[in-house]
Amino acid sequence: MINSVLTIQIKALQEEKEFIQELLNPKTQNEAFQKLLFTYQKPLYNHIRNIVLNHDDTDDVLQNTFIKVFQYLKNFKGESKLFSWMYRIATNEAITFINQKAKLNGITSEALQNKTIDNLKADVFFDGNEIQIKLQKAIATLPEKQQLVFKMKYFEELKYEEISEILGTSVGALKASYHHAVKKIESFVTTA
Amino acid sequence: MKTFKLEDEPKIESGFKTPENYFENFSAKIMQQLPENEPKVISLFQKRKIILMAVAAILVVAMMIPIYTLFSTNSKELDESTLENYITYQSSMNQYDLISELEAEDINRIKTTIPLEDETIEDILTTNSDTERLILE
Repeated sequence: MINSVLTIQIKALQEEKEFIQELLNPKTQNEAFQKLLFTYQKPLYNHIRNIVLNHDDTDDVLQNTFIKVFQYLKNFKGESKLFSWMYRIATNEAITFINQKAKLNGITSEALQNKTIDNLKADVFFDGNEIQIKLQKAIATLPEKQQLVFKMKYFEELKYEEISEILGTSVGALKASYHHAVKKIESFVTTA
Repeated sequence: MKTFKLEDEPKIESGFKTPENYFENFSAKIMQQLPENEPKVISLFQKRKIILMAVAAILVVAMMIPIYTLFSTNSKELDESTLENYITYQSSMNQYDLISELEAEDINRIKTTIPLEDETIEDILTTNSDTERLILE
């Protein structure tokens, strides 16, 4: 049983190595990149959207993310998985975007987040009611790292191991972080 | 007031939607943007071209060096030999003509070499085995 799991993992690693080679080879590059796009555009879209909240900004950040992935592929050392590397780029791009946007508007990123949540009701690409808005407002009260962990675990349903690879935090610390986040959100929603 | 428990609630979706066909259009849009990076590949090619051209130029210059030295030495040798030939075969100059051409300065220059010549004469006399025969004569 353990052996078969191990062989599957080794096979997956080899496949990823081959795929990266395809991405780097100018002959197979376009086809491979298309495959990469189809595999990751939806999960990465959701990841970015959970951070920047509105669709148009997500579209911008997602474009930048894939362009950066394409540009920096040749520097990708394979020390981490392609999956977590791309999530890291997307996370950095999204957070940088939010900070820049807040600076441009002369407000803090927390204030920007609350403003964006208030605008969600009028957003044509948001299909939610009071509970969604309340949950977003509760999340906005958390520290940045806890927000990330909660969104990745609750909305994106990533495994702790995956979040750990992306954020470079131990699984134990992530579990504690998520637990704290849930507690704070529950008390916020109860009292609000 | 009822306490809110996330686990007890049915899963709350994020509620985020995308425009219709967004992902189909998105991948097409990205693929169109990618060729912008391709000129970099071409520029690498151009760099290689420049390097090749530089190497070719250096090679040409390097190959010119032996030809240049060959020509320059040739011309010098030619000069000396023609001068010699001219003096020995073509000119009607003799010793007296040469002596008459000498000026006081030239004679002085010849004189300065004399002390040196004394030493060499001595050397020759001491080392040469034929000196006895020369003295006897």
